[in-house]
Amino acid sequence: MNADIADKNTIDRNLLDVTQSHQVAEFKHEIALTTLRVDPTDRFVAAGAEDPDVQLWELASSERRTLKGHKSWVRSIDFSADGNRMFTACWGGIVNVWDTSQSEPKPLRTIHAHKGAARFVRVSPDGQQLATCGNDLRVKVWNIGDGKIVHEFSGHERHVYGVSFHPDGTHLVSQDLMGGINVWDLQSGKHKQSIDGSVMTGYDKKFAADMGGSRDLQFKADGSQWASAGITKVTNSFAGVQDPIVVLFDWTTGKEIKQIKSDDNNVKGIAWGVRFHPDNFVITAVADRSGKGELWFYRPEEEKAFHTMKLPSAARGLDLLSDNLRVAVAHADGHARIYRMTAKRPADTTTPAKAAPETAK
Amino acid sequence: MRRNQGCNPLEHEMARRRFLTSTVAGAAGIGLVDTHAQADQLKHQQKRILQVFLQGGVSQLESWDPKPGTVHGGPFQAIPTSVPGIHISELLPNIAQRMHLLSIVRSINIKINDHEQGRQFMEKGRRVGQFPYVGAVASKYLATPNSNLPGYVHVSSRGLSDVAGGAAFLGAKHGQLKLEGIKPPGNLSAPAGIDAVADASRDKLRLQFNQRFADRRSKAMTEAYDASYDQAAGLMERRAMFEGTASKKDLERYGTHDFGRYCLLARTLLENGAACVKVTHHGYDSHAENFNFHLEQLGEFDRPFCMLLDDLETRGMLESTLVVIYSEFGRTPKVNVRYGRDHWGTAWSIALGGCGIQPGAVIGSTNETGTEVADREVDASHLFHTYLQAVGLDSTAEHDLPGRSIPIGDPATESIQELLV
Amino acid sequence: MLISLTMIACSAASSVADTPLHKWVDMAVGMGSVGFENVAADDAGDAAFARRLYLDLTGMIPSAEQARRFLADRSTDKRARLIDQLLTSPQYARRMQYEFDTMLMERRPDKHIKSDEWRNYLRQSFAQNKPWDQLVSEMLTADGTDEKTRPAARFLLDREMKTDTMTRDLGRIFLGRDLQCAQCHDHPNIEGYLQRHYHGLAAFLNRSYLFTDPKSKQTSIGEKAEGAVKFTSVFTSESDETAPRLLDLPPIEDPPAAEEPYTVKPDKKVRSVPVYSRRLQLAAAMTDPANVAFRRNIANRLWALMMGRGIVEPLDMWHAENPPLRPALLDLLADTLADHDYDIRYLLRELALTKTYQQSSQYNGDAEDSDAAHFAVSMLKPLSPEQLAWSMMQATSLTETTLKDLKAKHLAAGTEDAEKQIDDPLWQEETLHNALKAHVDTFAGLFGVVGIQTSRFDASADQALFVRNGAALQSWIASGSGQLTSRLNMLQPPDLIDEFYFSVFSRPPAIGEIHFVTQFLEQQPDDRESAIRKLVWAALSSAEFRFNH
Repeated sequence: MNADIADKNTIDRNLLDVTQSHQVAEFKHEIALTTLRVDPTDRFVAAGAEDPDVQLWELASSERRTLKGHKSWVRSIDFSADGNRMFTACWGGIVNVWDTSQSEPKPLRTIHAHKGAARFVRVSPDGQQLATCGNDLRVKVWNIGDGKIVHEFSGHERHVYGVSFHPDGTHLVSQDLMGGINVWDLQSGKHKQSIDGSVMTGYDKKFAADMGGSRDLQFKADGSQWASAGITKVTNSFAGVQDPIVVLFDWTTGKEIKQIKSDDNNVKGIAWGVRFHPDNFVITAVADRSGKGELWFYRPEEEKAFHTMKLPSAARGLDLLSDNLRVAVAHADGHARIYRMTAKRPADTTTPAKAAPETAK
Repeated sequence: MRRNQGCNPLEHEMARRRFLTSTVAGAAGIGLVDTHAQADQLKHQQKRILQVFLQGGVSQLESWDPKPGTVHGGPFQAIPTSVPGIHISELLPNIAQRMHLLSIVRSINIKINDHEQGRQFMEKGRRVGQFPYVGAVASKYLATPNSNLPGYVHVSSRGLSDVAGGAAFLGAKHGQLKLEGIKPPGNLSAPAGIDAVADASRDKLRLQFNQRFADRRSKAMTEAYDASYDQAAGLMERRAMFEGTASKKDLERYGTHDFGRYCLLARTLLENGAACVKVTHHGYDSHAENFNFHLEQLGEFDRPFCMLLDDLETRGMLESTLVVIYSEFGRTPKVNVRYGRDHWGTAWSIALGGCGIQPGAVIGSTNETGTEVADREVDASHLFHTYLQAVGLDSTAEHDLPGRSIPIGDPATESIQELLV
Repeated sequence: MLISLTMIACSAASSVADTPLHKWVDMAVGMGSVGFENVAADDAGDAAFARRLYLDLTGMIPSAEQARRFLADRSTDKRARLIDQLLTSPQYARRMQYEFDTMLMERRPDKHIKSDEWRNYLRQSFAQNKPWDQLVSEMLTADGTDEKTRPAARFLLDREMKTDTMTRDLGRIFLGRDLQCAQCHDHPNIEGYLQRHYHGLAAFLNRSYLFTDPKSKQTSIGEKAEGAVKFTSVFTSESDETAPRLLDLPPIEDPPAAEEPYTVKPDKKVRSVPVYSRRLQLAAAMTDPANVAFRRNIANRLWALMMGRGIVEPLDMWHAENPPLRPALLDLLADTLADHDYDIRYLLRELALTKTYQQSSQYNGDAEDSDAAHFAVSMLKPLSPEQLAWSMMQATSLTETTLKDLKAKHLAAGTEDAEKQIDDPLWQEETLHNALKAHVDTFAGLFGVVGIQTSRFDASADQALFVRNGAALQSWIASGSGQLTSRLNMLQPPDLIDEFYFSVFSRPPAIGEIHFVTQFLEQQPDDRESAIRKLVWAALSSAEFRFNH
């Protein structure tokens, strides 16, 4: 089962204590990371970086494999439900399919998915298809089996930043630079709905340029909502001065439900990751312009975060492990770090590249 | 200029024009030209400059000097161009097809990382001091005497402070006429209640007063004063020029966004005899999100610029128009924590072409990771000499200013000879 | 001729008392010599003299009434009396404020000192006729910490304490030498502009820095106790080092290093003060009689202010190959000014009294353009932006109507002494200035040049568009109550034409002009008011109005 739609029953509520979240493992790469994904079986942490390689770490052993095959930075990663297949999308427009069981994986398949960057890749709930989007303004659906295109949706007028399947597999949601959201019906192959997400973009008057888009897009496991992470309130985006934001949307109505923003307004930067936690809260990973990061923990019904965790380096990707007790964060300092949302145990260690053995499953 | 006691300043002024090329000297005789063909020929002889200023500092790695796959290369690819062997960033696909019209200087080190200082150096060819901008120099020495347009026009969506319009000691006449986008200059319409007839009659009266005053008086200053009214009238007559005479087809080719319209206006201004037109495209100071912003900005820049280049070429103007695409500096090879690149005057590039420039050349290089100039280091003073020599001016001569001894270009440096035709 | 001039200069120094300076000046220019008289222009005449003098000493043309009154005066000493009257008027201090502000700050935007405070300081200084050496000493000594002297610190503080900027401007503005090209090497084209001149000046200031108080955020000048000035020629790679020095005067060596070199030690939070300050040596060195360049510079600048052209021109380009046109004349002015304790009012008075100043700007016979450069004909002086603004407002009676309103308002407000105040020339000047300042600023922005000032005339299209079509001028020309247009509209030729010429050109019309204007009005009988508006506009935009002649 995909981590995104993990079953609530798997949480050990006796252990979960977000306020005591702490680092339990660290995986080091030499170059700033760009994104991260944990496979649904919690075996792998995969990360893209400001180089063309994919870093693939075994959570248990910290063993690292470096996967070569892209010519540009990897922007987005996803896994098959069994963790054996990995899909990576890069700024060169290529989507690669990898076999994670190989000792030195080579791309099993290379899809020339987009002209210009391929910004997002997601596996369909049935594991048969990939959705991608990119700078050619297209949203595309691919058959994983043969790499052939199934759908090609056009309608976005600016670069498409994020795309995700609805958990029931019937629809796609995509969002572009201007915040514009489109819902695509996979059965009819048609555009179903346009939704205003313009709060998530801003025009920098001084520089005469737009900034925005979805930097992460994630459905709640039950399909009732989706969350999009990005920016709002552009002040001086060329210096990174704008507010990170996560917006929650209602699936049925397409209406915005809630905006999650910094409590104290001191954080300026970008929200690069968002996850729904089954215990009814939302985790947001933020990169502050200073280079530091934060994790925000919000309950949708509350105005303020019930916990904020300072991170040593800007967050550029976020995932929730299937135990629902740990999150993985991609950092700008080249590290992927695992944080455990529980009280510290004697066995916990933060020594580099050594994951703590997990017994709580 | 060495002035001896008691010499006649006017004689000096005449003598000093010797450094101008024969083309410009020929233009000075415009009063004798009366046939249409000759006038047309003269128009083609006039040399001019088109500057496209990518304000904020375009990244050399995302434009003229891509280093894909290297440690600081960024996510974008390099693409081949119409000149075999020259690759530029994938963000400039239209320019890549026209590379044979342009050349690249990849080895600029201005040792300045400050916007204002860098911009001043790039405009003046001098690190310090009040010297005229390239455009003001062009206005003074390239403008045809009968042109009613100000010689130096700057189209920009917002102001940057250009002291005295960049004219320095060359005087207000050669300072830039700054246009806020395609908005006509201020005070271009006659006041309410004064129609063309009334305007003409009051202006005739003004000239009658002037005629009386001119009796047995020095003419130099009063004529300059009169000329400013002629220029003003010229601008008023050409009001339509600013109001967008762009055809539907033009707009389809150039695009309807601001920069496309600025390029169209630049074309009109160049065709109407402006000696230097500067178009500023803002928004390259990407301390954060360098890659997304360069996608946006260069995406907007590439096509309209190429349409303008095409039009200059097909209209036979490119050989008499120096085209320069420049910034105040480049951007750091190292990508910062905000996906930004910072100010970098140490190793960066510009592109130029047209009049007097060897096409399809690459001058100099940076090292493998782009952190240093590897070969043929130049700075803005070399570029300044090169621009002026490309349009036939002797940049090693002195300015045409009675009583002052001011070399046009920095006497400590020289032009990039191998770049000149 | 050179020899005789030198002799005059020599004798001037020995027998100052009997012959007033203005007579020596005329002789030094060449008056009396046959060659000069052959090309010399006639006397300007009373009307042209008055207009010229009002512009030069008060910054605006005379009102029609003032012009008429001066012409009607039959006394023989009326020119001298007008000179004295204008030199002691509040308008004189304002005019000097504008002129010296432009000269010293070159229209820089405000940085650390509010320009209003600085300008007020200048105006007060000229109102009390502060000697030039004292004014300069104050400017070069103030460090910005004392509220009383803080405005004087603007010269240095608003140059951000940048050594290069300060050095170049000290050379240009106080010594008449633009040493910029000598920064990196001895000047390539000017013999005598040496790298050590530049760096000798820089050495007074390179230890000083801009200090910002962390609490009050107020800026002031701090100074370090160490820091040498070394320089290397980019041409010859020769290096040298220099202590502070003024041009070729001996360097001022530092005293033996004290054990504790600081009164206040350098620290981020405090302004450091050395026991021995190089910067504080500057004022004395600059104004020292041995520094001849200092007095020659100001004499040359005051001459240019009155005559339209320096004896050395450009004013900041004095060097061996661009020597003064009349060296003896310049020395005469410089030395006499110094002997008179740098009394600016004295020098301007003497200059205004010269025949040279009072000559016509029209050539005589077959004289040529170039004679103006030899001071045989008065030069046309383009009005400064401030002169232009005030003169247009004066010509259209905006000054008069505004002052009338301001007086009425002040009386209505019922302040004590209001009746007395409204007749006080200083109150009138200040009140009117404050009311119309915004217009002056508009003109300064459009007609002024930020940066190096030159005597060259320049006109640009946007200036002409402003005069042609701008709203300000249109409203002044409109026939508001009391304004020129409505006043003229109530008159008939020839009174109308007489009033028009006195208001705009400060003189009666010539016969030919009466005909020409009458003809114009007759050609447009249907709409006389709009014809008058055209007439006023054409006159205001004419060359006769644009130049002080």
